Amino acid sequence: MAPERSHSRIRSVAAALIVVALVGVGAFAIGRLSTSFSGTPSNTSAAAGFARDMQVHHDQGVELALIIRDGSGDEELRLLAYDIATTQANQSGQMQGWLNTWQLPQAAPEPAMTWMTRPTLDGAAHGHGGATAHAPGDPMPGLATSAQIAELKGLTGPEAEQLFLELMIAHHQGAIDMADAVLARTDIRVVTELATTIRDSQSSEIEYMTALLARY
Amino acid sequence: MAKNTQQSSQTIKQEREARRLEKVEAFKKQQARERRNRRIGWISGIVGGLAVLALIVTVVVVNSVPKPDPATITIEGLQEFPDITGGGHVDVNADGTPVDPAPNVDYQVQYGMNPPAGGDHWAGWLNCGVYSEPQQNERAVHSLEHGAVWVTYDPDALSASEIESLVDKLPDTYIVVSPYPGLSAPVVASAWGAQVKLDSLNDARLGDFVTKYWKSPTAPEPGALCTGAIDGPGKIS
Repeated sequence: MAPERSHSRIRSVAAALIVVALVGVGAFAIGRLSTSFSGTPSNTSAAAGFARDMQVHHDQGVELALIIRDGSGDEELRLLAYDIATTQANQSGQMQGWLNTWQLPQAAPEPAMTWMTRPTLDGAAHGHGGATAHAPGDPMPGLATSAQIAELKGLTGPEAEQLFLELMIAHHQGAIDMADAVLARTDIRVVTELATTIRDSQSSEIEYMTALLARY
Repeated sequence: MAKNTQQSSQTIKQEREARRLEKVEAFKKQQARERRNRRIGWISGIVGGLAVLALIVTVVVVNSVPKPDPATITIEGLQEFPDITGGGHVDVNADGTPVDPAPNVDYQVQYGMNPPAGGDHWAGWLNCGVYSEPQQNERAVHSLEHGAVWVTYDPDALSASEIESLVDKLPDTYIVVSPYPGLSAPVVASAWGAQVKLDSLNDARLGDFVTKYWKSPTAPEPGALCTGAIDGPGKIS
């Protein structure tokens, strides 16, 4: 009687352990494998989406900066524009390189910003801290419209400088939004490092530009 | 004695009955235990089986969605021009002074392509965007050098709404869309060193071409801006 009872107890415990182990392995696999099998991000991952959308965002940052560098005589502002253009061109190139390294196309398989609507790593539906909700295909946050760019090109002097600062502050704010969004959705180091850099340096640049804007 | 025997036989009967009940009880307990063990076995089997199934499904799903590595995308009817190794600025003299008037490049004679998909070009590139008028080949080719895809269409083959839906299929940046009178197909998509003639705007090869070549590392200067230079005539957006 006694050996039989301990036998059945061992069986139950073993069965329970196997179940726990299998469920654990299954859950881990589902979480991990849904990102990628080969260790690089999938085509619809947040990392790839960020790399594509942030290139578009940064390229416009370069465009805006070069417009004001050509159109302004204010040395301080022209130097800021130089800084923004070279920094963002470099960062855009880094993101272009990631996609090439990951053997993914530069072209997105789905509308822009779709990655920002996907669940975060901690499971929250839309928890990147930003108050605004995004829908797939929405314009990227902070992106200037083509009308605003045309307006900037048409202005000179303080009027151009003021519009540039307003547009670039909004542009930076949008980039911080996107950086926060990817930080909540990926743990790939090369991505989190650049996203952190973008968030931190553009935050302090917003303070600087806000101070410059107060002069006008 | 008789009474005694009766008494003792009564006791024996009771004892037997008690033992029988005890055995029945033990048997019932054992049966219950076995039932419970069987149930545990079934439940753990089902849960474990489901976990394994979920694992298999995940592996299959993940691996059945291959990464669309641009290098491995094949496009029917794709024309490649691997001999274009670089593009010179034909409107600039060796000493840097502009050639006036800027010489044209005969892409048909020089490279065997029309519309052009790379080669020599002018120093000022065409700003990317949607144009309602034909564009200077020598400027658009410079945009291809920066990683743009140039989507030309036969203005006689596509209606205004078809042009609009063509534009909707394309990325917002690093794209030039313009009419090209006398085009040999309704739509032709060109990148640096590659081109595909499309039967209609719904031709699925357009998407494949964009996936393979848009901002591709096979262009000489991908990521160089496609803004900040020359707006051609008839720029819509």
